[in-house]
This record gives sequence, C-alpha cells and structure tokens, in this order.
Amino acid sequence: MAQNQRRFNVTNHQIPIPTLHQSTTNTTGTDTGTSTRASKTASSSDLSILTRFHAGYFRISLALCSQALLWKTLAEPTTDARALSSIVRTIPSFAFILLWSIALLTLLLLCLLYLVRCFLRFRSVRAELAHHVGMNYLFAPWISFLMLLQATPFLQPDNRLYRILWCAFSVPIVVLDVKIYGQWFTQGKRFLSMVANPTSQITVIGNLVGAHVAAQMGWKESAVCMFSLGITHYLVLFVTLYQRFLGSDSLPAMLRPVFFLFIAAPSTASLAWDSISSSFDTGCKMLFFLSLFLFASLVSRPALFKRSMRRFSVAWWAYSFPLTILALAATEYAQDVKGVIPNVLMLVLSVLSVVVTLALMVFTALKTNDILPHDDPFVCYNIARGTST
Amino acid sequence: MEQTELQVEIPSVLKQTSCQNIKGFDCVDYGNGNNPNPLENAISDKESYGESIAGSKITKLELQEVVIISLPASPSGLHIGQTKLVLHSEKCENTDQNDTKNPYPQLAKQKKFHSQPILVRENGDRKVVHSEAIRDHRFDPFKTWSGRLERQISNLRGKATQEPDIEAGASERDEIEEAPGVDRYFDALEGPELDTLRATEVSVLPEDEKWPFLLRFPVNAFGICLGVSSQAILWKTLNTSPAMSFLHISPMPNLILWWAALALILFVSFVYLLKIVFYFEAVKREYHHPVRVNFFFAPWIACMFMALAVPPSIAVNLRPFIWYILMTPIFILELKIYGQWMSGGQRRLSKVANPSNHLSIVGNFVGALLGANMGLKEGPIFFFAVGLAHYIVLFVTLYQRLPTNAALPKELHPVFFLFVAAPSVACMAWAKIQGDFDYAARIPYFIALFLYMSLAVRVNFFTGIRFSLAWWAYTFPMTGASIATIKYTMAVTNVVTRSLSVCLSAISTFTVSTLLVYTIVHAFVLRDLFPNDISIAITRKKPKFSKMLSHFRSSSADSKDFDSSISKNSEI
Repeated sequence: MAQNQRRFNVTNHQIPIPTLHQSTTNTTGTDTGTSTRASKTASSSDLSILTRFHAGYFRISLALCSQALLWKTLAEPTTDARALSSIVRTIPSFAFILLWSIALLTLLLLCLLYLVRCFLRFRSVRAELAHHVGMNYLFAPWISFLMLLQATPFLQPDNRLYRILWCAFSVPIVVLDVKIYGQWFTQGKRFLSMVANPTSQITVIGNLVGAHVAAQMGWKESAVCMFSLGITHYLVLFVTLYQRFLGSDSLPAMLRPVFFLFIAAPSTASLAWDSISSSFDTGCKMLFFLSLFLFASLVSRPALFKRSMRRFSVAWWAYSFPLTILALAATEYAQDVKGVIPNVLMLVLSVLSVVVTLALMVFTALKTNDILPHDDPFVCYNIARGTST
Repeated sequence: MEQTELQVEIPSVLKQTSCQNIKGFDCVDYGNGNNPNPLENAISDKESYGESIAGSKITKLELQEVVIISLPASPSGLHIGQTKLVLHSEKCENTDQNDTKNPYPQLAKQKKFHSQPILVRENGDRKVVHSEAIRDHRFDPFKTWSGRLERQISNLRGKATQEPDIEAGASERDEIEEAPGVDRYFDALEGPELDTLRATEVSVLPEDEKWPFLLRFPVNAFGICLGVSSQAILWKTLNTSPAMSFLHISPMPNLILWWAALALILFVSFVYLLKIVFYFEAVKREYHHPVRVNFFFAPWIACMFMALAVPPSIAVNLRPFIWYILMTPIFILELKIYGQWMSGGQRRLSKVANPSNHLSIVGNFVGALLGANMGLKEGPIFFFAVGLAHYIVLFVTLYQRLPTNAALPKELHPVFFLFVAAPSVACMAWAKIQGDFDYAARIPYFIALFLYMSLAVRVNFFTGIRFSLAWWAYTFPMTGASIATIKYTMAVTNVVTRSLSVCLSAISTFTVSTLLVYTIVHAFVLRDLFPNDISIAITRKKPKFSKMLSHFRSSSADSKDFDSSISKNSEI
C-alpha cells in the first residue's frame, strides 16, 4: 500500500495524465526521494483514491444485489425445480443472509464514497454526468437498492416501509429519466444517435426494475407506467444500437464487457411484464427468448472481448449482473413452463451466474490493486474543457 | 515483315507464356489470313471448362504473331503513336525481341509495361497433345485449394510435373484466397443487387469469355426453389381451406407443383454442392457479398416451404425432428449475421442494410409457422421473437434510407417486393401460434397489404430492368401475401375478402408463369440465363491506374463513360 501511496503522490500534484483508462501499475519503479513527501500527503492521497470512485464501480453492487435476489428466488417454495430447490434449501439461510448483508454493505460503502466524491470533486461529477457512458451509471445505485429491497428477508412487499422505500428509490430514477431521455431528442450535443452505446440500456433497466418491484407490491398503475417508459425507450435504443452509426462507436475496448447489457434489458422486461400480468405469457416468453438469443450471439463471439480480458478491471464486473438477470428470467420461465428443458436451462444459467460472480469476487480479492481507481477518468475532461462544463 | 533486332530483356513471365488465347486481345489477325490463330476456333466454341480441346489443332502450333502493347510509365505518354509494337515470336523459348517499325528509337530504353498476357502455362513438352497439358489455369485461384487438388491428380497420373508458380500466378492466387472486405464490394459493384461492375473496376477473371458453368451458378438460383415451392403452398391452401371451397380447386396443381419444386431443389442443391466442392473460393466470395449472403438462407426456407406444402396424399403429420434439422443451419447463420450487425465494424447494419436482408428475417417466421403447424410450442415462439426484434430494426433502418447506406437502389426494382414477405409470413405464424387470427395477427397482415398495394400501383416503374435469376426470389412475397389473405378470409369471410383472395392468387400465379416463360426463353433460346458472375471476381484492392487503362483499352467503353466513372470514383 505504501508503494501505491508513493505512486499516487507522484501523480497527485501534477496535471493528471490525460488518459481514459487506468494506468499500468508500476509499483516497483517509484522514487524513494519522495518518501518524506509521501508521509505528509498520505492522507490526501488516500482521499484521492477514495474520490476517484466513479459511478462505474456500482457494477459491483449491481452484481451482488442481483445475486442476492437470485438466491432468494431459487430458495422460494414456489420454484418448481425438483433438483434445484432441494439443493438450494440445503444451503443454510445463514449463507443467504450473509450474502445479502455483504451486498448491502458494499452498496452503502460505494454510495458513501460517491457522496464524498460529490463533495470533494464536484467538477468530476459534473463531467461524469455529461459523459455518454458515465451518465448511465447514475441509475445503478437506485437499481441496486431496488433489487436489495426485493431480496430483503426482513420486509414483506405489503409492508408500509417497503412502499416508502420503493418511492424513495424510484423517484430519482424518474428524475434521471426526464433529464436523460429528454436530452436524447432535444439537446444538440447529446442526441441519441451521438451518445447511444450499450450502457444506455441501464436507463431502461432502471425503469423496468422499478416496474417489477411496484407490480409485486400491488401498485399496478405505477408499474405499468414505468414499464411503458422503459419499453418504449428500449425499442428506440435497440434499433439505434443495432444500426451502429459511426458516432456511436465511442466505446473503448476495455469496456466491451458492457455488451452483456444487451442480455440484461430484455430479461428485465420479461420479469417486469411477468409480475404485471401475473403469468409468464407469450410476450414474456418472447422477451426471454430474445435475451437468450443475444446471449448465444455474444458468447459465440469471444474475439469481441479479447482486448478487455487482458487485464483485470472493474469493467469485468459487468459480466455478472446480466447473467444473473437472465438466470432469474429462466427461473420464472421454468416455473411456468414445466418440463425438462426449461429446468435444465434454469440450472445451467443459475450455476453460470453464481460461478461468474464468485470468480469475480475472488479476482477482486486477489488483484485489489488492479481494481482500485488510479486515475479519475473524468478529470481529463475538466482539463480539456476548462471551466466550461 | 521486316524485323529489326533489338535486344531488350523481356520479363520472364513472357518467356514462358503463350498469349494467343483471347481473340482480339493479344493477337492480331493481319487480315490476309496468313497467320490465323489456330487456337481461335478452338477457344471460341469452348462451352464448358474441361472439354478436351481438339488435339489436332494444337499440334499445328506454328509461328504465332502475337502483339504485346507496352505503355510508357507516365500518363503523359498516352499517345498511341509512341507505343511500340513488339512482336513476340513463338518459335521457341528463346527470347527474340523483334521490332518492326521503330520510328522512335529513343524510346527503346524506356521502361516498358507490358500488358499482362493471359497466362497459360504450358508443360515443358509442347508436343504433348493431352488436354491436361494446356489446362486452363485462369480459374485455378477460384477452385477449392486453388486448384492444387487437380494438379495433384494430374501428377498422380504421371504427367510431367508442372513448373512452380510463376510470380504473377502466385500473386493472383493470393489475390483470390482472401475475400475482399465489404467496402470493396460496395466500391466495385453497383446496381440494386450489387452485381454490375463499375466501369473503373477490373475483373480478376476474363470478362469477355464464358466462365466455367459452376463459376457462373450463383446462390440466387435457390430463388427459383423459393418461388415454385411457395406456389405449391398457395395451391394447397386454395384446395384445403373451406372459405375458398367455392372455387373447387382440385389437389392436382398442388401435387404437380410439389414434385416440380422437389426436383428443382434437388437439382439446384446438387449443382451448388458441386460448386462448393470444386470452387470453394468462389463460394467464399459469395458469402462475403453483402447481398448474396442473404441467399444462403434460401435453401432452408425452400425446404420449409416444401414441408408446409406437402400434399395431404403424401403425408399429413410431419415429424418434429425435421424442424430441428432445418432450423439449425438458419440459427447458426443468424448468429453470425445478426452478431455482425450488433458488434459493428465493417458490416454494421447502417452500412450494409439492403432489402435482401429480409430473407434472413423471413427464415425465422417461416420456421415459426412450420413449428406451430407441427404442434411445437416453445421453439416457434423463440424464433418468432428473434425475427420480430430484428425485423423491427431492419424495417426502421430501411425506411430511414440512411445516407450512409449505399446499397439501396434509387430506382424501384423487384427486390422491393421483399418488404412484403416478412409481415405476411409473420401474421400467419402468429395466427398459428395463438390458434386464431386475432388482432395481433391482423396488424402485420394489414401492413403487408399496404406495402403490396404501394408497390403494385407503381408497377410501371418496374419495366425496363434487366432480367436476372434473382427475380424468382421476389415472387414468393406475392404468393405469401395471397396465402395470408386466404387465411384472413378464413377468419373474416365475406365477398370483399374472398374476391381479394382470388385476385391476389391470380396475380401471383400469373407472375410466376410469366417468369417461367422468361426463364425458359433465357435458358434455351438466348442462352444467357447464367451470365458471368462478375460480383465474385472483383479485385481485393483498387486496381492500379495502369491496369485500369489496359482494361479500358481492351473493352470498348465509351470515353465519356470512363471519364465520368473516374471522376465518380475519385469522389468516393
């Protein structure tokens, strides 16, 4: 850690390195002459690490919260997976509560760090809001909160506190909707054709998750309202992303794992419609099948992800959440359509999602250095634009 | 003829090649009949590759007068008068540079760019009369494994081993082995089916000679199977649907058409299989063509049409495993093509979208319809969902007519009828999945009807377009619309719908019969049903200016046309 501090010290005072990607770690070649300075600025550099946590780190919380939701769904008695529920029930409920707590703690920690960043580096936050990738991740904490709420073992959906919390988490989503969707067709620099990229689907997912939870609470009208918001913009976004105008080619190679969000959006829509219409009807099935097809399509193109897989980064966490949502949708599908193949599908997808999440947790524990933010990717925008942001 | 000696080294390429195969290209008939090209007669009526050339004519290889035009390096040297006529004596391997009139001796030392002769490598022993000795190597790069298989076979037969590749031949082979990028297809070709070579482009294969039949057999030929098998479905529906029983159609047309379609499918598949075996490189190039790649779905769709059209006297209930077998290749092809759209790069949809992409979408809906007919539940919904999602994307893209999209024809062309295909099949598939023709099925039906009407009233704009084999593929949307109308009539039976069904069925049958007549005329009378398939013979890189010039000179292109294409090309 001391080496890291020294390195951060070198980069802290000077003009930040104008790079969008995390710099290569060079923990061995630091100068020893700065050791005295290092001790003085240790606190400020610690703080600087903390304030570099950009919104992309909420991928971790998305992944963990959705995992908690998956485990809860699998353990439900209504799940008709003859083999699976018995396996899941052997896992003590203690483990599930542990996972839920870890997810909650991670989420709270990330929110706290982001709040600190808001206070200390407000300019960076503004730059992030303006960035075509960063702005979408502002939905991520609210999505995580909603999923955590759904997965909570302590509250029932018809509880008053539950409903208050839902309102508290959905209102920011609607506010962000108005801002970002409005920009899509009104503001010149941020037309949809210019800013559309796979992470824009997070905005859609936010609406759909809100609708899903609302329907489970029994608030059908709010659910339908948010669902229609989500699905309409999903239609527009889907077409735009498939067309792939030249302007939308601005995703760096390190962020290719976010292509998995193509899988997440229709699965979430399928879940939402399932809870609104109380049965897994044809529309839900079609959305689920679409996401299955997109999953097969992405998995059969490993070359697309080769460059991003060279180094561990927080972008790798983008693999977990879509797989978990797909597994959730498969669970609902298997409940409705009983048979061998749906159950096998559910089993395979659930196992895959659990394995991927566990692997990511192990990687994070082993390579913590790689995942810590060494640069603020949004500072360069500050420098480049001066004070015009 | 006076011959002045001039010792100039000519490239080794010319030492070993004879270039008198193309009439009017390298050879000059002096008009007095003294030195006719003995090979002219042999080559001109060579219909298909591999025919053994009459040996007797070849042995009479005597002194050949061959003209090689050499152009100076700089474009300023475009004066015809400055070019030298170099006569190459074909007596023996010795290089003999003979100059007839040489009014410009100062040009003798200039670097010469000899027009490349068409390479025909001969075996060492010219006296061998066997056909393998003068095998046409021009089409080797397009063959499977670049003709190495055939060479090995001839080696096994004990012939003298051939020379190692001459450099020009090797470079041609490299040229072919890697398929061009999609940009090259758009740059080099034009037309609504991207099958016409632009004036500034050069073909890798000789354009004025008939290529081997297999090379000329495009994958569009499966369009005929689509057209005929969809007709079979139409007549089966007319026969079996109770709402149309007032017509008293017998089951005979269905039976006849079904057997005809079966024969056609077997024949076309067999020929194309031969093409894959012998000319795999050509197939690879067709696969990379942005319009032709969609026709690779056609065989499977045609087989599914056959399954849908099977006469009741032959089979009533088909086994589900047929569905799985037919949908697997479609699924794999889809993964590849839709994945290319999604991940962008060279083949992003905004660049390559063209109406033929509908063929890739229709496969999903036809599969859903067939699966629902067979009683499957989840599989049809799967493919319906995938087809619907991608259809929406394609529909919006094509309707937008993006400026980045170069492939859409500006004028109307029968390919636009493919717009009608997807909604009409989708409505039938949905009706079958749901069990009845509900509102969700009627919406796509009315969209299909609207698109049909808007194209039908513009039918006068379709005249004057060159007939091509792909037109067969555009008849099946019409037939599909008629079948959808009959299904709609079954749900809503009244005079209007019945007359609409009769009307549309009549139009589609009439169109198919007309097309049949056209095809027979072109096949047997005009004999140009399978013209040279230029679109697979484009060069990998833009041709160099000198090559363009030589191409221009050899073809009798209008200079104005040439100038305009040069200027057009330079803008791109």
